[in-house]
Amino acid sequence: MLSEAMAVLGKELTGELRSRVALNAIGLFALTTLTAVAYQIGPYRIAAEDRPHLLAALLWIILFFAATSGLARVFVKEEDAHTAKTLRLAARPEAVLLGKLLFNLLLLVALEVFIVPLYCVLMAYEVKGVAGLVLVLALGSLALAAVATIVAAIISRASGSGTLFAVLTVPLALPLLVILIQGTRAAAESPDVAAVWPALRAIVSLAGVTLIASAYLFPVVWHD
Amino acid sequence: MTDKRWLLKWLLGVWLAVVVLGAFFYAPTARGFKGESARIVFFHVPQAWVAVLAFCVNLIASLRFLRTRDPIDDARAASAAGLGLLFSVLATVTGSLFAKVMWGSFWNWDPREVSIAILLLIYAAYFALRQAVPDEERRGSLSAAYAVLAFVTMPFLVFVVPRIYWSLHPDTLLNARGSIDMESRMVQVLVASLVGFTGLFSWLYTLSVRLARIRLRRQQGVEG
Repeated sequence: MLSEAMAVLGKELTGELRSRVALNAIGLFALTTLTAVAYQIGPYRIAAEDRPHLLAALLWIILFFAATSGLARVFVKEEDAHTAKTLRLAARPEAVLLGKLLFNLLLLVALEVFIVPLYCVLMAYEVKGVAGLVLVLALGSLALAAVATIVAAIISRASGSGTLFAVLTVPLALPLLVILIQGTRAAAESPDVAAVWPALRAIVSLAGVTLIASAYLFPVVWHD
Repeated sequence: MTDKRWLLKWLLGVWLAVVVLGAFFYAPTARGFKGESARIVFFHVPQAWVAVLAFCVNLIASLRFLRTRDPIDDARAASAAGLGLLFSVLATVTGSLFAKVMWGSFWNWDPREVSIAILLLIYAAYFALRQAVPDEERRGSLSAAYAVLAFVTMPFLVFVVPRIYWSLHPDTLLNARGSIDMESRMVQVLVASLVGFTGLFSWLYTLSVRLARIRLRRQQGVEG
């Protein structure tokens, strides 16, 4: 199963490196939003007492909406190119889900590696607990990729999938977003990794239940 | 059978009328609230309860549909979701009226308000998804998959998020200390109202499912 999943991931990476559609969509969306935020708000227009919460919230709003602009492509493109049937024959559903999930995770990590340092520089965001922030970003990406991948699988089988993705993802991902903002704020305020434990526990639980539910639901969604 | 239904329907009508009278004339005025505003609890709490109950019925019907593929289970899930949406709107409106009287504004982004707003968004997304899938069986399985996903993320919204943010919302009926801080006559009316609203939901749900069953039979008759 793992080798099949790696083959699916390899196929996704090769396709993406050739076309760079998802990477360009997500990266440019994030960059445009970041430019708008940095230009309109900048590092000094937020009062000192509001900075910890507002800067964490703005960062995740940029990352989340950039992610919704590109993560659905992983399944939508298979339906658009009529390659879904071949993929169904070539790999087990669990392998397809895992491969696509890993691809979305890599896409999110690439986005964060590019956007987060830029955000910290442009918004003068001082993060005291870098290790805590890295943990929140890494596990948050896993949870977000898990939600986005299964929703992408669902909407790829419906018409008007582009707009549906955001409509279906936002209610499911909002609790995660609240926890991520809280975790990022805790990481920015304290150098101690223990400060982000409560948020990390909630993120891991949310990622866990989403992954378990996805493993149960994906074969139904994929084969119908 | 018809007589029994007729009797139950009238009994429900009388029961709810008694609840309305009890809410205004039997229950005493609650301490610590502005004027008579707390009386809204006898309608607001049962509406929120029914919204959550409908969410659970929707989950059970969705899981059954994924197992049986019987169109009536899909109709059950959609009926429960429709009623859930209606009662969520009612709970939101009554909650907002109370918020205006007590806190001076209709909407404060209190964690409880966020929970009900996201429940509304989930129901709306569920129907948006249903409308985007023309094939009936696929519509059933995709919306069932979304319902299960939405259900597994709900506990985070209900139990984790309100612990992150400070809430203005009065204690729930059974508060965090495990006790009921309410005058006994108020508890009696509230429990009677909860029973009445649950009965109202059962009646509306049965009607909606019977209607769906007739539609399905007619459809099968036309196809046959």
